[in-house]
Amino acid sequence: MDERQPLTNPATGEALAKREQPGYYPGFSTLKQKGYWDAATRKVVEDRVSKQKSIRFFTAEEARTMLAVVDRVLPQEDRMEERRIRILPGIDERLYENRLEGYRFEDMPPDQEVYRIAARAFEEMARALHDRAFHELSVREQEEILKSVQQAKPQAAQELWKQMNIERFWTMLVADVVSIYYAHPWAWDEIGYGGPAYPRGYMRLEEGEPEPWEVEEQRYEWGAPSDSISDVEELHAGARDHLVHPGQAGTH
Amino acid sequence: MSLFEHNAPLGGAFEKPKDKVHRLGAMQRIKIPQRRFKDDELIDFAIVGVGSAGGVLLQRLARAGFTAVGFEAGPFWDTERDWVSDEAGSHKLYWNDLRITGGEHPLALGANNSGKGVGGGSVHWAAFVPRFHPSDFEVYTRDGVGADWPITYEEIEPYYDLLEREIPVAGPAWYPWGKPHGHPYAPHPMGGVGDTLIAGCTKLGIPVSAGGPVAILSASHGDRPHCIYRGFCIQGCKVGAKASTLVTHVPDALKNGAEIRDCCMVARVAMAKDGRTDGIVYFDAEGKEHFQRARVVIVCGYALETPRLLLNSACPGQERGLANSSGTLGKYLMAQAGNVILGRFENLIRMYKAPPAHALTEEFYETDPKRDFARGFAVQTVGPLPIAFAKQMMAAKGAWGWGMRREMMDYNHWSSLGLLGEILPWEDNRIELADGRDGRHDARDRFGLPVAQVTFSLKDNDKKMIEFGKNKVMEIMWAAGAVEVVQESRYAHLVGACRMSKTPDAGVCDKFGRTWDVPNLFVMDGSVMPTQGSANPGLTIQALAARTADYLISQKEAILSNSANGRRDMSEPPCRRSLAPPGTFTRGIPHLR
Repeated sequence: MDERQPLTNPATGEALAKREQPGYYPGFSTLKQKGYWDAATRKVVEDRVSKQKSIRFFTAEEARTMLAVVDRVLPQEDRMEERRIRILPGIDERLYENRLEGYRFEDMPPDQEVYRIAARAFEEMARALHDRAFHELSVREQEEILKSVQQAKPQAAQELWKQMNIERFWTMLVADVVSIYYAHPWAWDEIGYGGPAYPRGYMRLEEGEPEPWEVEEQRYEWGAPSDSISDVEELHAGARDHLVHPGQAGTH
Repeated sequence: MSLFEHNAPLGGAFEKPKDKVHRLGAMQRIKIPQRRFKDDELIDFAIVGVGSAGGVLLQRLARAGFTAVGFEAGPFWDTERDWVSDEAGSHKLYWNDLRITGGEHPLALGANNSGKGVGGGSVHWAAFVPRFHPSDFEVYTRDGVGADWPITYEEIEPYYDLLEREIPVAGPAWYPWGKPHGHPYAPHPMGGVGDTLIAGCTKLGIPVSAGGPVAILSASHGDRPHCIYRGFCIQGCKVGAKASTLVTHVPDALKNGAEIRDCCMVARVAMAKDGRTDGIVYFDAEGKEHFQRARVVIVCGYALETPRLLLNSACPGQERGLANSSGTLGKYLMAQAGNVILGRFENLIRMYKAPPAHALTEEFYETDPKRDFARGFAVQTVGPLPIAFAKQMMAAKGAWGWGMRREMMDYNHWSSLGLLGEILPWEDNRIELADGRDGRHDARDRFGLPVAQVTFSLKDNDKKMIEFGKNKVMEIMWAAGAVEVVQESRYAHLVGACRMSKTPDAGVCDKFGRTWDVPNLFVMDGSVMPTQGSANPGLTIQALAARTADYLISQKEAILSNSANGRRDMSEPPCRRSLAPPGTFTRGIPHLR
């Protein structure tokens, strides 16, 4: 059972029901379009949805910690449980197969070492600050720890964090997480992204007009769970601007 | 094979694979295996890296009747089988092997700027193909910064004309910046991001170029269909509408007897006792070491792998790296400032549609005495897909958790413009070997070769340019009607580190890419550039490669057999339009004279 607090309606303060598909494009399904995709793409996307990956890189303990971390970096309590996107196995696979982004910062250990150190550091912070394991902490306690890492001001486990550039770690973590979540067709449906488009292509290029098979936006208001501090108004804009982060695709 | 032999709109996607038929884009088919030279056969040209420059050189030299082999570290793509219409699934197009990056402003490498596989970076470029301006070739003379090129705009101009037809480039019939010129194929229709740039620029009175110049077909061309506006340019164009040397030059190279040895990593350039190279040492796909004899070696590995290979080829007499008597090998590495400016709009944009590259302005390209820095920048459209956009939200807004989910639900409301700014060449922006010496890292690839260690820092002029340029693009975004504007710092493209020079003490190679120290060793790719302008480097790399091919053909006796005894004939070769792939150079609009 999921005991996390729900999203709320900001106008009434009432809890919002969990959705099969959050986001402003109700009924939009990229997977329903797969008959129009080429075979190679269809295979890659279908495998992503259906294949269960096991944990091979992380130890059971590390996996328990990192699962709780990933759940806060990309929370999904608004999704019905059977429609949540598994993220940690994707990170595990990248590390196990040593799939790099093509570089390592000179002030960073190898990616695998970085994650092992970080998993230990999160546990050490949880023990030092709350005397419990990280996965046993409340949402607020977990988010406070993550936020201190994001801001490069960890309140404990300094010796461990000193072994790397903590800002670059945060960047790698968030980049890894979003690279898996937003590669999933359910996430594409959530944000109204059209997905694979070969060989059909697009014909309505301007004014944000949907293709005949896309849907119009229907916005609704939602508030983050009351115990969360990771929503937009909490962000500090621009603070990470001086960092180049890993894995960004070439853009121009 | 004709489009009309298929019932499906684009043949490839619904076609059953046939044995030994290699699919390049939806329509183009070639047969491999090709010709295979033996290791102990003395070939005329060994070309290291089959990317933007290597692809063009291989095609030219094969068509002129030479024996030529292109060695490529990555695979020979079958685009229907190997490429996907999917952001995460396209990871393998990039050079993802380890490199070490540092300095005050470390560069992101990998997906950002280097390719692996036949076609190289041209497989995943966004395909903006502006020319350099005449001023780019004399930056030092005009502004007292950077360097002059050993060539002028007039020397490369015939090759711009030619390559724009070989690609062929879509863009406006009248392009006002630099030396005004036209483009052979019609400009593309606008997408939501281009509309943003046009709206913002128009409001501020800034001229803007709509629909190009891009190396993307706006009409069909032989066995290449026109663009279908699906927006996956930088994931590899399955359609074959976006030009890469894989679809533009490699097929003609193979038809003319060239060989491409894919999945072969060149380890070093070998030196004979007479001070000339006699071939290359490489590892094949199974990791087995080979030596290929060659009369001439041309290194086309781009701005990191080219200097890395020459450094790894150090030998007695050339202990600091091959062709490094000047001490400049690996130095003067450049990247362009590539800040992405993101604007949120009340109305929907849907920026995943249309090629990311489809409109730009070069109004701020040249030095302006009213500004407090030399040189300038361009402003271009960018169209990140969801994963790239999520990373930008992290960098620009610090988004994570519910904030990330909320920002991403607004993905379709965002537009994005890119700064492309000229960072000057500085000696200490450099590539070294991560060989564990002199305090450097010790990192090796799977063959045991030290990887590249890159150091990059901005100087005062660069910082001023970025600050001014960033603010200008933000102003454009606001003027277009954005309700929120944020930005992310990043860098695009890599050039320099084996620069060409007028004299042997100032660079690695002469104006044709011939190294000063080894008479039959050439370098030809983005690494030869002394400065970079604010233009995407792809077209210029291909134009320089075609010019060097003409030089090699003109000088074949002197270079292949050393008959000139070390003397260099530096006269400009004739531009051989007859060597263009068939059906290209005669097409398109007449050139404005």
